[in-house]
Amino acid sequence: MPRPDRRENDQIRALHSILGLLNRVDGSAQFSAGSTSVYCGVYGPVDVKVYDEKLDRAVIEVKFRPAAGVSGTKDRWVESAVRGTFEREILAQMHPRTLIQINIQAREDDGSADAAAINATTMALVDAGVPLRDMVAAASCAVLADGAAVVDPTLEEAAAAQSVHTFAFAGSDIGRAGSGGASGSTSPVYVDSRGDFSVADYDRCYDLCLRSAQRVLAFMRTAIEGKIAKESQISVV
Amino acid sequence: MDMDDTSEQQQVAFAMHTFERIHHTEFQRRFLSQNTRHDGRAFSQFRATHVTKGTVSTAQGSSTVRIGNTTVVCGIKAEVSEPDVKTPNEGYLVTNVELSPMCSARFRPGAPSDEAQVASEHIHRLFGKAVDLATLCIESGQAVWSLSADIVCLKYDGNILDTAILALVAALEDLRLPEAQLDSATGVVSADRTIARQLTLRKRLFPATFALVDTYLVADADDAEEQLATTSVLVVLDDSGRLANIWKRGACPVSNETIHQCIESAVERAETISKTL
Repeated sequence: MPRPDRRENDQIRALHSILGLLNRVDGSAQFSAGSTSVYCGVYGPVDVKVYDEKLDRAVIEVKFRPAAGVSGTKDRWVESAVRGTFEREILAQMHPRTLIQINIQAREDDGSADAAAINATTMALVDAGVPLRDMVAAASCAVLADGAAVVDPTLEEAAAAQSVHTFAFAGSDIGRAGSGGASGSTSPVYVDSRGDFSVADYDRCYDLCLRSAQRVLAFMRTAIEGKIAKESQISVV
Repeated sequence: MDMDDTSEQQQVAFAMHTFERIHHTEFQRRFLSQNTRHDGRAFSQFRATHVTKGTVSTAQGSSTVRIGNTTVVCGIKAEVSEPDVKTPNEGYLVTNVELSPMCSARFRPGAPSDEAQVASEHIHRLFGKAVDLATLCIESGQAVWSLSADIVCLKYDGNILDTAILALVAALEDLRLPEAQLDSATGVVSADRTIARQLTLRKRLFPATFALVDTYLVADADDAEEQLATTSVLVVLDDSGRLANIWKRGACPVSNETIHQCIESAVERAETISKTL
């Protein structure tokens, strides 16, 4: 069955990003996949409240704001997912007794917003120059009622799906997996699979998401390299 | 006094609980490196689980679940309310997990902590598909049942998610709704308490949480182990053996083999708890 936007089942939506679009934060990024779009602004390292201060590392705080309406428990859930994902990837030991604050603002949610939030955060952290162990790339996938697995589902597809899966991988891990997407040797940083699915469905989505994450990572690399090349050119002149 | 001499030769001996207090991490690691845990369990062993239904007589459905020293009470209150315009035939299920200072010194009074909010939200998402909300309809577009499930933790000793999910499954199975009718002339809903209708769940959910402490994968971590664990994997199965949720969160990456290992253990766990539930 063709998808509503005529994409192939393993085709992600067109990616778009802008780095450093906000000038009052230390690093920022906009990450869009089709009409799903997320802003992320990062402050850090900055002062931390004495109460929260950790003597051996930086505190990581994540704030997520929805596109419309008041912030609720749904947003706390996304915050906890993003915080958990980046807790190890940010080298927090390098900035003890400080705070790294990640602010995420959803601009439009047309499905796979959790993955977009993680991807935007990676780009904003790189833009802010926060020391990272690795970049993180996320992708999601849905198993539809007819059993077909489609990557990067839209809101409409996700609502009708049997199950929805979101995975995040560290960059070096994706590189090691190679282009074939051998799932045995990789270790996801974040997994959220929900709905009604079998182990075979899970494995299928894992492979598809791993391959999509490879594409997302390649896109993020190109975008960041492009921005750095541009900046260094200006400084020479 | 010859301080140097004594400090070199003196053997420091602690009582076990003193060692646990001052070197909490090292205390746990000593056990794990010997392939056991501080409470004597094997890595893949869950704590004793007890489920009691109908523990709160004033609620329409209730249960008490104990996993080891973690105790949770779930009460479901049914109220009549107006349906959402977008879904005129569907009732509501509202979940609320309460982690108050009563259950552990880790929690502070006041607004619900992030941990409690994340648990509430996760359970709400899980049960969205387990409960057929259309069966809560009294009169389309006019009146529906709104179930508010309050999950209160009385004693916190780790693994709140498993306990809360089990408690909600048990309370939903215990739920008896009176037969309600809308009088279209007056707009008043009257309920006949003599007829009690049971809610049929689309699927029963069986949760199993695994924690990664250093490099050891332990099932059903208690509070002391949770303090050290950086990563947890929650696997939820339904009664037909299909998966309902895999949720891996936390800092350490977990290999795909480990996740499959968790699924296998969760299948065994589901078989055991399906008998107690």
